[in-house]
Parts: sequence; C-alpha cells; structure tokens
Amino acid sequence: MNLPALLLQLILLLLLAPLVSGCIKNWKAKLQNRRGPRLWQPYFDVVKSLRKDMVISEHASWVFSFAPYVVFLSSLLVGLLVPMLTTQAPLSLFGGALAVIGLLALGRFFLALGGLDPGSAFGGMGSSREMTIAAIAEPALMLSIFTVAITAGSTDLSHIVQATQKPAWQLLNPTHVMAFAALFIVLLAETGRIPVDNPATHLELTMIHEAMLLEYSGRYLAFMEWGASTKQLVLMTLLVNVFFPVGIATDTSAASLGLSLLAYLVKLLLLAGAVVLVETTNAKLRLFRVPDLLSAAFVLATLALMSTFLFQ
Amino acid sequence: MNPPAHADIGTQLITLLAAGMLVCQLLLVVQRMLLTNIRLFALQSLLLAAIAGVVAYFHNATHVYVVALLTLVGKVFFLPWLLNRLVRRIQIHQEIEPLLNAPTSMLVCGGLTLLGYIVARPFTSLERLGNNTLAVAMTLLLTGFFLMFNRRKALTQVLALLTVENGVMLAAVALTTYGMPLVVELGIFFDVMVAVMILGILVYRIRETFASMDTSKLSQLKG
Repeated sequence: MNLPALLLQLILLLLLAPLVSGCIKNWKAKLQNRRGPRLWQPYFDVVKSLRKDMVISEHASWVFSFAPYVVFLSSLLVGLLVPMLTTQAPLSLFGGALAVIGLLALGRFFLALGGLDPGSAFGGMGSSREMTIAAIAEPALMLSIFTVAITAGSTDLSHIVQATQKPAWQLLNPTHVMAFAALFIVLLAETGRIPVDNPATHLELTMIHEAMLLEYSGRYLAFMEWGASTKQLVLMTLLVNVFFPVGIATDTSAASLGLSLLAYLVKLLLLAGAVVLVETTNAKLRLFRVPDLLSAAFVLATLALMSTFLFQ
Repeated sequence: MNPPAHADIGTQLITLLAAGMLVCQLLLVVQRMLLTNIRLFALQSLLLAAIAGVVAYFHNATHVYVVALLTLVGKVFFLPWLLNRLVRRIQIHQEIEPLLNAPTSMLVCGGLTLLGYIVARPFTSLERLGNNTLAVAMTLLLTGFFLMFNRRKALTQVLALLTVENGVMLAAVALTTYGMPLVVELGIFFDVMVAVMILGILVYRIRETFASMDTSKLSQLKG
C-alpha cells in the first residue's frame, strides 16, 4: 500500500462524488426542459449544511449522532477497496468483494438505525422500506460480483480487474453483459433512483431514502448526503472498472494515470447518462412492484453465474 | 490489441445473441402488458434472424440466408403486426395475474435453464458453432411450455407457442447441419404462420363468445 495513491483516490472520491450527483440532477432537468441546478450545486449544499446549526430530537440517543459518521466513513472505505485509476486498489490488502459487500451492508444498517432512532413515524417507515429492498438487492449484488470473481478466480477486486485486462471485444460475452445488467438494476435500487425511489421528492407515501434523513440537519445531514453520493460513485466505479476495465492504468507513471483518469471520467459520465435516461423515461414503481424488478436482477445475476459454466 | 480471429468473432457473436434471446424469454415471462410482450417476441425473433445471418456469413451456408430473411419478414414484422391488430380489435391490453407470480416464475425459469443445460450437455461435442447454443434452445423450449400454462389469456399462449418455435429454429440453425434442409424449414415456418393466423381467429371467437380471453373458461359447460 502506498500513501500517495491512497491520498489521490481519497481526494478523487470526496471531490467527484458530489459532482456526479450534480451532473445527474442537471442532465435530468435538461431532459425535462428545465434549467436545473448548476453542476456544482451539491458542493454548495454540503458546505452550507456543514456551517448550519443542528436541531436534534430530544428522543434521539447516541446512535442518532453516531450513524452519519459510520455511513460516511463506510462508503469512503469501500471506495478505497475498489480500483479506480490503477489496477491496484489502495486498500486491496484489507479485503476484496466480500469486504465491499459487508461494508455497504454496515453503512445501510446504520442508516436504517439512524432513521429509526428519533422515533419519528416517517423515519421508521423509510428504514423498513430500505431494508425490504436491500434484502433482495444485496443477493443480486453479491451474485453479479461473484460471477466476475469466478471468471477471474479470485474475490480480490484488484485481481479481477487485472484478470479482465483483455481486448474489449472479449468482454462482450453473455456472462459479463448479464452480470452488468443485474448490477445496473442494483445500482438504481441502492442509490434510490427512479424506478425504485424518487430522490427529488419528500412526498410521504413514496420516499425511502429521504424518509430516513428527515430528522437530520446541519453537519449530520451534510455527512449523510455526502456519504450517499460517495456510495453512488463507488457503485458506479465498481460497474465501470470491474466490468469494463478499458483504459485503466497498469503502472503508476503520470502519463498513464492521466489517460486512466480521462477514460474513467468518460466511462463514469456515460453511465451517469444511462442512469439519467432510465430516470427520465420510467415512472416510479409501486412499492409492491419493486420486488419484481429486483427479482429480475437476481435471476439475471443467477443466469450470469450459471452461464459462466454454460458458455465457457 | 490484436485483431480477433475470424471464427472467434462468429462464435462470440452467436453466443451473445443467444444469451440475448434467453433474456428476452425471461422478460416475456414476467411482463404482463400484451403489446410489450409482442414487442419482446419481435425482438427475440430479430436476434434469431441475426444468429441465422451470422451463421450464414461465417460458414458460407447460403441457404441459411433464406431462413434469416424468412424469420425477419415473418416473425419480426408480419406476425407481430397481425397480433398487434388482434390486440387492438379485442381491446384487452393486460394479462390478468398469472398462476405463479413474477418472482416465482422467474425462479422456475432459472431452474428450467439449468435443466436445459443439463439435458443439452451430452450433445455439446456435436455443435460446431457457438457454445451451448443448444442449451439455450432447450431452455427456450422449456420456458415456452411453462409460459403457455402459466398464462390464462389465449393470446399470450399463442406467443408462448411462437417462442417454442423460435427455440426449435435456434436448435436447427445452430446445430451440426447449419440448419435443416430448406424444405423442412420452410414447412415448419409456414406451419407456424398458418397456425398463428388460425389461432388469431380462434382467440377472437373465444373473446366474442365468452366476453373474455381466459382459456380456463373453456372447460366450463355452457348452458
């Protein structure tokens, strides 16, 4: 593990995460013929929230103030486990795909606890919904990561990325494509995007992620929001780098790092564009229809796993 | 990046397209809107036509081009158009709740895929192109039958029959002989075409008589 790489990835994670959220919001508005917020609006939101006072419910316990830090730090840690610019992730010594899934689950667990703790009705409702969705989304996430892990022969994400350093046309095999599709649906569910949750509403009947954040304000809210956008960036990185590691740097010279950053940004923006398209062209599903979508993701991931044997 | 070998690309393309057909089939199993179902079937047939085209191109089997063309004209354009018109005429756009709900049927289909794979495995050495395209064909057959008894609307049952036929065609195109003799293929093709046209009229009659497309009503005595 080397310190410069760690710091570089940390800074990239912290800086890129709000930008990606901003991009998605802005493009979505453009597609709906609105002007939309500026690209860097999420940065202003975070800074403003950080400077504000907090109002905390008198029923809240220590869990309430503990949760934002866990949510924020767990998504940062996951980010350091995923290869971003080079094939070697900074913290890859500490764990692979299983650690990623575990840390994501930890963050989600505390997010749900934070929603439950102040005893507001909406928070509990949001937590309950989040856990219901996570219970189906998580197996799909695991299966699709395991699919590439089986092909690569290791659950270490850096190993997987190195093993998939093949010509691009070979990556277009059914296993990869199906696992990618499954993980894309999971991405929509985990980041609270439209067919599952609407990130732009505070309507009590439909909100999931926002419901858990209702009681948060000031610094805690900033950490929650920043953590959520980091988690989104990390999942997107997982999708673009583990499944299509085209252009990722294999050494640490400045030139290849620059090229890698460029390729990474292009892939990231393409994926963000795909998310925007899905969000704009679909309506939110009824809550009871969400399991149908997620079970489709699950079966796709299962098929992908099976087709590693089927189409070898 | 070295350019891939000629035959490799063919194999890869066929495998990818076959997987696409499989995904279409699974989407058909969970989708309840009739018009979307018809579109999915058209997409699946388009993929089949593409597979036939790839086989014909990479193995210089000219008569397979005819199969590709027939599939394109018949199953991508004509039959979907016919079924679309039928849906518009009988004014029913949505399937009622199937016997098994969506997640369960997805799981059943996953199991059927596994079964298809196990059944097709002894024959994999016979295949000259694509990897395990026969397994996909088997799966299309099995899930087609499953779709047929899982749905109650006569129209979706017709669609299920058509996907079974797609499976048969896939097996024929991708297995050893690069397609069955052309006469046999033409026979199957027009057989299905005529069957669907007759079934279309039948569906319309069922709807007229029972004011519903629910085939389970056919077993009731009418008095």
